[in-house]
Amino acid sequence: MKNQAYPFYFASGALLLYGVFFVLPSLLGFAYAFTDWNSYTTDVHWIGFDNFITIFTSTKGYLRYLQNTVVFTVATIVLKTVIALGLALLLTHGVRRLANLYRLLMYLPAVLPMLVVSLVFASILDPATGLLNTSLRAVGLDLLALRWLTDIQLALPSVIGVDVWRGVGYIMVILIAGLQAIPKDYYEAAEIDGASGWTVFTHITLPMLMPVLTVTTVLNLLYGLKVFDIVYVLTNGGPGRVTETVYTAIFQDFSKGRYGLATALSSLLFVVMVTLGYYTIRLMHREDVS
Amino acid sequence: MKKPFKALSAAVLASLLLISCAAPQAPATQPPAVEPTTASADPTTVAEPTTAPEPTSAPVAEPVTLTYMASQDWIKDAELELAKKFEAETGIHIDYQIIPADQYFALLKTKLNAGEATDIFGGQSGKTDLKLQYDVENNAVDLTGEEWTTRMDPNALDQVSLNGKVYGAEIWDIVASNYFIMTYNKVIFADLGLEVPTSYAEFKAACDTIKGAGIVPIFEPISDGWHHVLWFPMVGPRYEEVTPGLAAQLNANETTFAESEIMLTAMTQLNELYQSGCFGDNTLSDAYADTSKALASGEYAMSVATLTAPVSMATDFPEAKAEDFGFFPIPLADNQLAPAHPAGPSKFIYAKSPHIEEAKQYLAFLMEPENLQYLLDNTPQFASLSFSGLTPKWTAEQQEFMNTYEVKTIVYQDAVNYVNPQWMDIGKDMVTMFTGGMTPADVLAAIDQRREEMALTALDPAWK
Repeated sequence: MKNQAYPFYFASGALLLYGVFFVLPSLLGFAYAFTDWNSYTTDVHWIGFDNFITIFTSTKGYLRYLQNTVVFTVATIVLKTVIALGLALLLTHGVRRLANLYRLLMYLPAVLPMLVVSLVFASILDPATGLLNTSLRAVGLDLLALRWLTDIQLALPSVIGVDVWRGVGYIMVILIAGLQAIPKDYYEAAEIDGASGWTVFTHITLPMLMPVLTVTTVLNLLYGLKVFDIVYVLTNGGPGRVTETVYTAIFQDFSKGRYGLATALSSLLFVVMVTLGYYTIRLMHREDVS
Repeated sequence: MKKPFKALSAAVLASLLLISCAAPQAPATQPPAVEPTTASADPTTVAEPTTAPEPTSAPVAEPVTLTYMASQDWIKDAELELAKKFEAETGIHIDYQIIPADQYFALLKTKLNAGEATDIFGGQSGKTDLKLQYDVENNAVDLTGEEWTTRMDPNALDQVSLNGKVYGAEIWDIVASNYFIMTYNKVIFADLGLEVPTSYAEFKAACDTIKGAGIVPIFEPISDGWHHVLWFPMVGPRYEEVTPGLAAQLNANETTFAESEIMLTAMTQLNELYQSGCFGDNTLSDAYADTSKALASGEYAMSVATLTAPVSMATDFPEAKAEDFGFFPIPLADNQLAPAHPAGPSKFIYAKSPHIEEAKQYLAFLMEPENLQYLLDNTPQFASLSFSGLTPKWTAEQQEFMNTYEVKTIVYQDAVNYVNPQWMDIGKDMVTMFTGGMTPADVLAAIDQRREEMALTALDPAWK
């Protein structure tokens, strides 16, 4: 502790603000999750675990929404990381000419507001008049002109695809920064020893990049679990309820005045996020150490 | 080289800090406040020193802007023109916030629950909506006693009233804009030798014939989330005809939707229409805003639309003729009754608005007889309005429908409690049914479950 550059009380102001405006409301939220708080009456009653029982047992499909959220999160983490890593390697070690221009182009979707991206893609993916299907039909690929956002099998993958398109550039930029921070000495030594490209990637690039990959994974994880806007605009949870996620359900419950239930759902997701985030960091650090 | 740069940076930063800490000034475009003057208008006269000088001009009041949130299609162009006229007369500006229909109620409820609603908000009338959706007794201003309430249609007035108090202004055509019925293309029917169906079997056969001719039988815009729901409660008068007193029994919690044979029949038939392709391939993506285009194109033979839909279509697409379209009731469960529907989009003044008097002034202005007549004359979707003393503009086809089909009882979103507030949920369940995730019986059971939840929350004595 004595090695610290600054004494602890330097952080006390920030901690106080954080405690009052973040920790305390979260704890209050946990308390309300055990009540029947709603917009129709001013009385709030303690109802124990009833809200959680409703979430796990009712026929309203909350577990399906949780499942959709997890599927969305895992798929976007894997796709964004793999594609972004490939692009980062290409634009760091492969393409030399106009590399910065390509990086800029790949990053551009991340600058666009999600609402704009979603509205544009809702138009592009329209089965009858959308750009995608019109283009596919124009080149004779009518079989591939599908109902992207209204087919129950395709709706969630389509939402995932749009989110990956928007988010991959952002992750790529972080990974490029990580790649550029790896000392060139390692690569020169490996080249002298005659290591193959794959060996260099698995034994130098990937281990050295692991701290950055930990950051991007945690960022993607938290973003994925909180997904709301892209689903809300692209499908509004439909067709039917097949693309509903936890946050769209929370929004609906809150808008219908079921505050207690919405708070319970929100608290549950908070616990899931903290747990998954903690174990992800631990797991990836352990791999890093090994 | 570095020291001068650092010094310059420090100077710039210090300047910025000073500027940002300076007291904010009034923007240049703001009209200057007029100082109350104590001087006499005539410089040669001297004010009496013993009497307090009267200010010769009052401080200029801030220009009032009324915010007004409504769902898509609820605000007509003529009302926007009237709002401009109102602003010219009073200086009160109306800031309209138009929200897509599928997001409107969730957003409105969120704003009401958060205490941040607009000065005026739109909402569907109906007692359940007034009590549960908007909690008008706490969220809306009591408008009882306003002059225009004496001129409003009694049925419409009842739908915006709760416990004897009037809370809303329903400026709507409760016949031509509220009767959602089958609007059909007479030319296509004549070309295919089809008669107006009088039963579901005839209707289904007509759909099959139309589909066989390469025309999509029905334009059904499901993407909006609300339109396809119309098929079910609009047939309410038929449910009531087959099972007299059903609405009263449902409201008394003596029976359920799931127990009703006639309702199950209607829901099953609706599902059959979807499964047999009567709504076309693109129905899940089709939007209500494209109804006129779809009907005018001749690519669709029918749509569930209002009595004024053909007139609106002809306004938007002059090459199409309104008289080429006729009407018949939604024929699920062999329905042949007109869907009387006195509830409709209404305007409420938010109780926490800082501009309640200005909002009342705006509503009173809109409901002056000459302004109502202007709204009626300049809105293709209206043929009449829910106020006395106006001149309606019925077409021959509309008149024929009203002469042919009897009005017996009102539709179920008005007659049965806790149905209208779950409209969008019913819509989601119906889509789940269409896509194989629920059966027609499941959809009815889900309606019952939500009704029970709402009734218990509302402390409805029938559910104790």
